[in-house]
Amino acid sequence: MRYALLVAWREYAENAKTRGFWVGIFLFPLILLLSIQVPILIEQRATPVRYYILVDPSRSLAPAIEAALEKSYQQQMLAALKQYARKNALPMTNSAAPRPGPSLEALNEADAQSLETFVAKGGRDFFLAQIEPRLHPGAAPFREPRRLFQQVKLPPAINPKAELSTIAEDLKPYLRQDKLVEANGATVPLAAAILIPPQLEDQIVRPQPRSPAAAARPSATPRQIQYWSANASDNRFRDEVERAVNAEVRRREYLARGIDAGVIQQIERTYVPFVSLNPKKEKGLEAMGAADIIRQWAPSAFVYLLWVATFTVMQMLLTNTIEEKSNRIIEVLLSSVTPGELMIGKLLGIAAIGLTMVGAWVAASFGVLLWKSGGAPEVTGQILLVLRTSNLLPLFAVYFLLGYLMYAAFILSLGSVCNTLKEAQSYMGAMTLLLIVPLLTLPFIPKDPNGPLARVLSWIPFYTPFIMMNRATADPPLIDLVGTLVLLVATTLGALYLAGRIFRIGILRTGQPPKIVEMLRWALRR
Amino acid sequence: MKTENETAAAVLELRHVTKLFGQFKAVDDVSFRLGPGSICGFLGPNGAGKTTTIRMILEILKPTSGAITVLGRPSALEVRHRLGYLPEEKGLYKKMKAWAIVAYFATLKGMTRQAAKRRAFELLERYGLKDFAEKPTDALSKGMGQKVQILAAIAHDPELVILDEPFSGLDPVNQGVMEELIREMARRNRTVLFSTHVMEHAERLCERILLIARGRLIFDGSMAEAKRTVPRRVRLETEDDVAPLRDLAEVSAMRALPRAGAQTDGPGHASQQWELELRENSDPQLILQTCFGRRIRLKSFNQSEPTLHDVFLRLVGAEAKEVVFR
Repeated sequence: MRYALLVAWREYAENAKTRGFWVGIFLFPLILLLSIQVPILIEQRATPVRYYILVDPSRSLAPAIEAALEKSYQQQMLAALKQYARKNALPMTNSAAPRPGPSLEALNEADAQSLETFVAKGGRDFFLAQIEPRLHPGAAPFREPRRLFQQVKLPPAINPKAELSTIAEDLKPYLRQDKLVEANGATVPLAAAILIPPQLEDQIVRPQPRSPAAAARPSATPRQIQYWSANASDNRFRDEVERAVNAEVRRREYLARGIDAGVIQQIERTYVPFVSLNPKKEKGLEAMGAADIIRQWAPSAFVYLLWVATFTVMQMLLTNTIEEKSNRIIEVLLSSVTPGELMIGKLLGIAAIGLTMVGAWVAASFGVLLWKSGGAPEVTGQILLVLRTSNLLPLFAVYFLLGYLMYAAFILSLGSVCNTLKEAQSYMGAMTLLLIVPLLTLPFIPKDPNGPLARVLSWIPFYTPFIMMNRATADPPLIDLVGTLVLLVATTLGALYLAGRIFRIGILRTGQPPKIVEMLRWALRR
Repeated sequence: MKTENETAAAVLELRHVTKLFGQFKAVDDVSFRLGPGSICGFLGPNGAGKTTTIRMILEILKPTSGAITVLGRPSALEVRHRLGYLPEEKGLYKKMKAWAIVAYFATLKGMTRQAAKRRAFELLERYGLKDFAEKPTDALSKGMGQKVQILAAIAHDPELVILDEPFSGLDPVNQGVMEELIREMARRNRTVLFSTHVMEHAERLCERILLIARGRLIFDGSMAEAKRTVPRRVRLETEDDVAPLRDLAEVSAMRALPRAGAQTDGPGHASQQWELELRENSDPQLILQTCFGRRIRLKSFNQSEPTLHDVFLRLVGAEAKEVVFR
């Protein structure tokens, strides 16, 4: 065993020095970070401010649109303020400071009433004043989010009193950005124009149950609200304006029909609380929370980790075995260690590399999550709780080792008979296809973890580690848990035994790789 | 019949070793024995079974039949830390530093890490590779890489060293260094078995020759014994008729050598070189006396010892026959 450990240590130390190893270690968290950060950055920085012109000669809808856009901005503001407070101020519960007014933690940008309270209390200034005593010393000042949609005035060359069709024609060069408009003393490109005809009342479409034909949209365009923009892909602004206009039209409709809008608003905010309960949980604690959602999806994350780790480590093992074989180092090694010791050493060394990599990924992912959640204890706490209270980590270790050893047995056999990576590629293609199945089924298993697909795949030893890992928190039947594990262990031991026999013969062989039938003959020959 | 003491004293002993690959007999009933402190050349043409024999000695391959005793043990793995091996096809881990490779193989042979590291630097310095100790092996020249591999094979000071083609890839200066390294090991009572295709090295180094062809050991003996398998030859050059020499009892064969360029001294007087093979224990002086007696005018007369090259060609060529002196 001493010699196997020496081989393992060399494998570990040498692989840990390779560029590929460090790229692998850093690439995973980097991709994770980028996948979180890039959309935020694009949202914050890269998305340009959309300048728009609103032409509403009768001023019938402009105030409603402007109010809706302001409300949307206040939502952004509140979210940014809460994020700022999480990062830069002590949590309220730990503070002895007085708490006048509504609780800041209770303010929720997604809740209309809560948002109204925020605005009514003074919005940004109120919030900042509230957290000021709790701010960390030296905390950076709060940076307001940008207003993504900003209104500009009609260019002086265009007559605001002209017909809408004339105004539209005159605006086209601006909308095509052949000409620029003025905003805050600078010239900027015009992203959109909304033209609202004066007699809008005639254009409102009302459901006519008795005559469906009348409900069809009128085809005449000049009297519809016109949304002009050269950008057909980014519809956020159009959607927001459309929502605001229709909300306002409906509000007026309520009034016109003698219904109190305030009552309607109250009714719209009426709801029955709904709770998801899990019968498998302890009595009194059946309600499903964030931890349960994490618990349900965490196995998928581990399966993905398992897959990436297995695949990466397989590549390392193959490259490394072929290098030793093609360099003829193997012969010197075999004069010092037995093929069995060499094989065990390689398996252990590369497994240790794989576990180091996975460990670094888990730690880095956790770090990224912790950082991105602004140290929010609820997110990290829930994840830790799930990891602590579930058997995910020990199961991951077991399935990684067994899965790795089973696949490694095939890789070692393959590596021992191939002289170059090119020779090994055709076999690796088949192996990759085999390994793709668990990835394809990854999202479906958690939805029906004890369904027929999950159960059948679990009993195929090639897939057992991935599928059973994915079912880990769904309490699979004992027969599945134990039976598949026994089958997996037996398959792994069998594969290692046969691989050992192929390895012993193949590793010293030169020339063309043998056919699979010949390899099987080596493996099974007495 | 050998006594038990003789067997115990043998560093390496093969008894009727045969190796079959399917129907193909790669090694056929090979037996030999090496004592301590000897340098033995293991010669043979390509595909003769040298590498297979070496692999069986090292227990990389198992013999189909027969027995091998290495340092008194039936398994080389039991005494692996007392064996050193340099394979024919040389290779190193490309990204490992020179010292690390030497030290790694030394640890696989039982040395502690610290001792192996110390020894690696010491050897690299002694053999002129001090400045390359910290370099990855893919930055070394082929010859340097080979030297590193040789040092890796002997770093643990093995009692039996098996070197498969140790001189290939080395320049003449380093070939000399390698020869000295082998002699130095023998002086310290280490046993060296090496294979080579360059007969000059074997001739300079070996006390003992093992010659293998088509899987069979066709010669096992000392250098002098090897040379005795080839008849002594005399070469002479003359314009006269050499028929009287052909009739001598001492001459077993005689042939004209091909002419190399113009050798005429005038019209009708062409000079010719002849090679005479002498029977065993014949005295070349007798040929010289006969030439004087029969008035054969000699332009040159040359009697030379057969070389190992002659031995090799004679034994491995069409005339190959088994000659075992032990």
